[in-house]
Amino acid sequence: MKKLIPIALCALLISWAPPVNLSKISKAKKGVKLIAGAAHKINEEEEYHIGRAVAANILGQYPLWKNGKLTGYVNLVGRALVLKSQRPEIYGGYHFAVLDTPEANAFSAPGGIIFLTRGIVSMATDEDELAAVLAHEIQHIVAKDPLKAIQSQRLKALGTFTAGEAVGSGSGALGIFQDSVMDISGTLLQKGYSRSQEKDADLGALKLLAAAGYDSQALLDMLEKIKAVEKKKIKAFSAHPSAAKRIDYVAGGIGSADKNGRQIRDARFEQLAPDR
Amino acid sequence: MKKKMFLFGFLALSLLLLAGKGLVVHVLRSNLLSRPDFLSASVSPLQKGNRLELLETQGSWLLVRSANGVKGYVHQTAVSESKVTLGSIAPGQKGASQDELALAAKGFDEANEKKLRGSKGYNFSDLGWVMDQDVASPALAGFIRDGRLK
Repeated sequence: MKKLIPIALCALLISWAPPVNLSKISKAKKGVKLIAGAAHKINEEEEYHIGRAVAANILGQYPLWKNGKLTGYVNLVGRALVLKSQRPEIYGGYHFAVLDTPEANAFSAPGGIIFLTRGIVSMATDEDELAAVLAHEIQHIVAKDPLKAIQSQRLKALGTFTAGEAVGSGSGALGIFQDSVMDISGTLLQKGYSRSQEKDADLGALKLLAAAGYDSQALLDMLEKIKAVEKKKIKAFSAHPSAAKRIDYVAGGIGSADKNGRQIRDARFEQLAPDR
Repeated sequence: MKKKMFLFGFLALSLLLLAGKGLVVHVLRSNLLSRPDFLSASVSPLQKGNRLELLETQGSWLLVRSANGVKGYVHQTAVSESKVTLGSIAPGQKGASQDELALAAKGFDEANEKKLRGSKGYNFSDLGWVMDQDVASPALAGFIRDGRLK
């Protein structure tokens, strides 16, 4: 029996060692919780399903450009960025697509379904500028901004349902689901996010671009183009703050970059996105 | 006698605490990777509900062991803490319990999403095309390398 005592003591000492692994995970989760704000009760799977419905709603309003070559290219750029984001793994994976409309815009549905319009793709003159637009939208997904557009009363109402009521015939639950889709679509297509959400997405995009090896100057270049379009009173990024205001804070966050790399990527941009 | 019982209890508790921490995959699909790098080789595919044992943390990456005993790396955003450790799972049982999989979803679920299919203003047909667009890992690795990305 005496031989067991040291073993037991050692085991207990080890078991009382600082919980390095899980404490780090817990801290990360707390971070997400703070970022997510009102959306903290919506889990990954719920985000995926409401995101699909929002994306289907957007596709009900804008035609999809089924250009496999361009879509494949946009997905490569987007995925290269996602790997360096703070949320590289998401329930159903990230998906990027192009909408066939001349309006210059970009939307991110919950769960990582990101749309660019033909107008904004045409406005980009190289891969880094295309990446800048995608990085901004990815940051909205990382911060779970689309979910924050859901009115809190809907989440409170859902909380009063039993699982059976919500999944069964419950027209109430379906109604809340549809209303929540409209909350998000309305924010993405018309109302827009708050200025602070947009600023955070821009500043996060600068870091994400640099982390992935893109030239963060490309975001500023893109905003200058949007600003020029806005001056002509042409509809561009209608649900975003004015480009002039965004330029003010983006200009201060540009880091150094490999300009030769940008030229190399420009060559494949011309090759892979020729008929944009 | 009491002393012996206390020591046995003490030992049992200590060994229990030593058991690997349990994790469960909460994304639909992922991979157990050979290195803490998304572009490294996959040693085993992962699916939602797979249980993993946490062995070590390296930044945002977790070195884990699957229920089949395969070791590899998974990113922390793909998993959640599980209340059940691998040690308490019967052989061959990899999935999470029904209770765990019956998520707290109250309306934002597949059942209600399906009810919207065919509704005016929703285009789930084109969404299917969007979701089918995938990027193979080797193609992405080549794209990053050729574009002098990181």
